[in-house]
Amino acid sequence: MSACRGDHCVTCSDEGIAMRVLRVDAARGLALCAGEDGARSTVEIALVEPVAPGDALLVHAGVALVRLEPAEVGA
Amino acid sequence: MRFVDEFRDAELGRAVATEILGAVEPGRHYKLMEVCGGHTHAIYKYGVDDLLPENVELVHGPGCPVCVIPMGRVDDGIAIAREPGVIFTCFGDMLRVPGSDGSLLEAKAAGADVRMVYSPLDALRIAKANPAREVVFFAIGFETTAPSTALTLKRARAEGVRNFSCMCNHVTIVPPLRALLDSPDLRLDGFIGPGHVSTVVGARPFEFIPADYGKPVVIAGFEPLDVLHAIRMLLAQLAEGRRAVENQYTRVVPWEGNVRALEALAEVFELRPHFEWRGLGFISQSGLRLSDAYAELDAERRFAVPGVRVADPKACQCGEVLKGVIKPWECKVFGTACTPERPIGTCMVSSEGACAAYYNFGRFQRGERAAL
Repeated sequence: MSACRGDHCVTCSDEGIAMRVLRVDAARGLALCAGEDGARSTVEIALVEPVAPGDALLVHAGVALVRLEPAEVGA
Repeated sequence: MRFVDEFRDAELGRAVATEILGAVEPGRHYKLMEVCGGHTHAIYKYGVDDLLPENVELVHGPGCPVCVIPMGRVDDGIAIAREPGVIFTCFGDMLRVPGSDGSLLEAKAAGADVRMVYSPLDALRIAKANPAREVVFFAIGFETTAPSTALTLKRARAEGVRNFSCMCNHVTIVPPLRALLDSPDLRLDGFIGPGHVSTVVGARPFEFIPADYGKPVVIAGFEPLDVLHAIRMLLAQLAEGRRAVENQYTRVVPWEGNVRALEALAEVFELRPHFEWRGLGFISQSGLRLSDAYAELDAERRFAVPGVRVADPKACQCGEVLKGVIKPWECKVFGTACTPERPIGTCMVSSEGACAAYYNFGRFQRGERAAL
């Protein structure tokens, strides 16, 4: 059974992943984001608002914790 | 890709390793603890350990939340999962952690509705889709994960989702570090500080380590060059007689952390007077529970839980591994009775657990060589 994404454990407190914002639903405080592998997920953005499409975020357990330099996600 | 390729460059890695070799004093043994499981995983995945001189020893800390969860808390979770009508949700690795009477995965096989989620927000979605069922989220993790739970609970209350609750097992990073530093059987020279925990709490909470214990701390990222660079920075502090908190991971970690996240934690959670850690025992003010303001969303108040303390299996030496007293391969059951497929101890469950990292990447030859 593959419990976690990739080879990391999602529970680990020190495991965040870089994602890029695709679409923002500001009213609900959510954004659709894509990871480096193309996988998409809905992310809570309350801790880093405001964000815009194209922004890069460090996401852990569905929540964006910090804004990253744009060059950190994707080539 | 920037910040990944750069930090996995083998040539640069060898160059930093050469600098490390030049920075160590011959005849002195250095014991550096990487606090978090993410670093442990990176060290063994990329073979960082093999690039270090023999007298630089990395000790694996208690920063894997799955590894430090005591059996009694697993039993409490299973008791809730077995309640009629409950959908019990948790992160994947938690499913396989053994309690005194099996794991959550075994409870699922026996009929309990246990579901794996990637975030508490997923658990809340399940609750909204199943209004006739009680949905419980087993919250676990350090300060990196706790904001996710806090925001989900705030959202559940704002949206009036009454069939959702949380069994809180969140822990905080500073108290176990202080307990380790006070431990008489462990002598450490410095700490590789947790990178993503620090995005939330910032660097300041670690200042007591140089101030009270005279040890350096370098907060580090998770690529192999990050870890090597952090080791180089720690050795430089030791050589120069400096003791400070330094931030190697400036491209991600702000010195002051995330103030909004800290405010959310303060609103939703309060410190437990004490919390049990596997291998470390009870540590004061090291665990979080839901504050009175969020009592109606607290699964431990909504359901009856046994709350019984359960001793670890006698064969299991996770406690010594978590304190860095022994290496994983020195445990009596490592790789024989205890494997990732059939773990006895928590350190073999999570991919960030020191035992699983050693086992999966076969990185125990170095220690075996040293023992010969």
